[in-house]
Amino acid sequence: MAAKKLRRAQLSQEMCERLSRYQITTCQDFLCLSLLELMKVTGQSYHEVQKLLCKVSRACAPKMQTAYEMKLRKSVNPSSAFLSTTLHSLDRVLHGGVPCGSLTEITSPPGCGKTQFCIMLSVLATLPVSMGGLDGAVIYIDTESAFSAERLIEIAANRFPAYYDSDEKLLCMTRSIHLYRELTCCSVLKRIMSLEEDIILKKVKLVIIDSVASVVRKEFDTKLQGNLAERSNFLNRGASVLKYLAEEFTIPVILTNQITTALSSGPGLRADLVSPADDLSLSEGSSVSGKRDSGYVTAALGNTWSHSVNTRLILQYHDLPTRQPLRVSAAITKMLRVRSSDTNTAS
Amino acid sequence: MQREVGTLPLAPALRARLAAAGFQTAQELLDTGPCGLSKEIGISREEALEALQVVRQECHGDTARAAGGSGATRKCTALELLEEEQTQGFIITFCSALDNILGGGVQLTKITEICGAPGVGKTQLCMQLAVDVQIPECFGGVAGEAVFIDTEGSFMVDRVVDIAAACVQHCHLIAEAQPEEDHGKALETFSVENILSHIYCFRCRDYTELLAQVYLLPEFLAEHSKVRLVVIDGIAFPFRHDFEDLALRTRLLNGLAQQLIITANEHRAAVVLTNQMTTRIGQSQSTLVPALGESWGHAATVRLIFHWDNTQRLATLYKSPSQKESTIAYEITPHGFRDVQPPAGTASTEGTEPNPRKRPRTEEEKQQ
Repeated sequence: MAAKKLRRAQLSQEMCERLSRYQITTCQDFLCLSLLELMKVTGQSYHEVQKLLCKVSRACAPKMQTAYEMKLRKSVNPSSAFLSTTLHSLDRVLHGGVPCGSLTEITSPPGCGKTQFCIMLSVLATLPVSMGGLDGAVIYIDTESAFSAERLIEIAANRFPAYYDSDEKLLCMTRSIHLYRELTCCSVLKRIMSLEEDIILKKVKLVIIDSVASVVRKEFDTKLQGNLAERSNFLNRGASVLKYLAEEFTIPVILTNQITTALSSGPGLRADLVSPADDLSLSEGSSVSGKRDSGYVTAALGNTWSHSVNTRLILQYHDLPTRQPLRVSAAITKMLRVRSSDTNTAS
Repeated sequence: MQREVGTLPLAPALRARLAAAGFQTAQELLDTGPCGLSKEIGISREEALEALQVVRQECHGDTARAAGGSGATRKCTALELLEEEQTQGFIITFCSALDNILGGGVQLTKITEICGAPGVGKTQLCMQLAVDVQIPECFGGVAGEAVFIDTEGSFMVDRVVDIAAACVQHCHLIAEAQPEEDHGKALETFSVENILSHIYCFRCRDYTELLAQVYLLPEFLAEHSKVRLVVIDGIAFPFRHDFEDLALRTRLLNGLAQQLIITANEHRAAVVLTNQMTTRIGQSQSTLVPALGESWGHAATVRLIFHWDNTQRLATLYKSPSQKESTIAYEITPHGFRDVQPPAGTASTEGTEPNPRKRPRTEEEKQQ
């Protein structure tokens, strides 16, 4: 929208030519100037410039919807509003499952089961709608080379033996999961930018990025000067494109993150400004004491990233062998604990 | 009439020509007339007439202002302002502690900024306010409509439905407890569907769309004159990435702030903005401060900072022209933004809310 050329904003031809002499070709350039600058550049009077401003704004501004219209649109197609995770208690807490149209983050200490969860969701997404799936393809961006196709088939065969009763059906399912191995931040960003066309072409209904944290933390060392800003920049750009895709196509986007320890003795954050839900040391079963002055464990990638995701799921070890997803959401805050047992079928 | 030609809102090229021809005051222009003007500076008669009309309008406005009439700048005594402020409504937040420290609620004609870490409840408060602004006057509200500009995609319709339902129920209870004749009529139109259809949502994806929308806001508000609340949820998000030129960002933000102040004043609406927190790296430690820089801090009239104390959410009134700085605790319940309920087990009050409230993390939760 910002890069929309002024020609398409229905400005007259000669006005566009005149503006292009000052290198003002897009709506963004036009709206960034002050009124006096615009008067100088367009050679028009004050009132004329205000009218032009309204014209250009109308070309860029978003469409208005009332909240009622939004609700009607959602209720018309309720099944497509969530992807059920088949863990009933988790689904209940999430009001139906992983929400479509927003970003969901799954974070946990290593080995808790993030990749397994992602693989399971990929299987679920390829199921037909009657079985609770989204009946579509999946794009899986793998930065850690952790995706295992054999495990995928194992989960599918064990979980839905009635549906995947033939090899042919299994192969069909695997064909609709598109795996991309990206190992650098740059290539991840390029891949995210090119997702829009792939989503339309391949009829994709779920995008998974596993994991954002590993590739970002590998390349950006926040102790070096300037890296923090660059990292935030990269994350913000990625997040805004992903949000746009999620909303535009009404599909869930799942990202995985890692855990980091923030020490209060070093450059730490004021403990009262970090959500206690993000502070994993306060939960049961962890060895760190509840005192927050001594440092705490939290999701990686910083504060700004936390603002970008809509829903955050934290997986933790409660006591072996059960893994326990603790749900925390930036949008609907209810902190409830749900048990899940990680068996062969990843149920 | 003695106004200089260079200060008139004419096209720059025209002004340059007038200056070159030697015109100095507006009176000279008016005396010359359109035909004379067109011959002297070499423009068509229609253009000359247009220019003279602009000049005449400006001078008329000037004299009217000089005579003390209504013009672009308002003059009034503090007594008139006091009367106005006392009759002005507030938008309540349903958390009486927060309303108290704000002096009654969110004030109309002022910009209120809410800063806080992610997950602390900023969007919840915005959604609560978008519902509360619609409370009819007989229940103590301002009976207005709301504009919700969403830049982060965090507006959840289902949540607004929950909040609206709780609000309607609350009003029904008040009407039953103290029945008055206005209540019945007001309650007929105060329903969840009605509330939802008076919340106008705009989803802005980047700062260009946000700027465009704010430019178009006066026009929209002129059409929908009952709007009393404009919420911009996430004014920081579009300005925090892809911005190399920080000077441009400051300028755009200041322009935005000015326009919002004008809009708030002209339409008697409250403007509520939410801001993010950012890490400021200091010498030996880093602190969390509101994003968008120091100069943005001047834009808002009232500033609230939401933060945590262990598991309790707190709100601090950080900047206000009329109230003192204080901190209160609040809660987010399934019904919306509320006061902290005392842990005592009295069943009399609030017995109408059957849903369990948020409990501390250390207890085992049972599902509903």
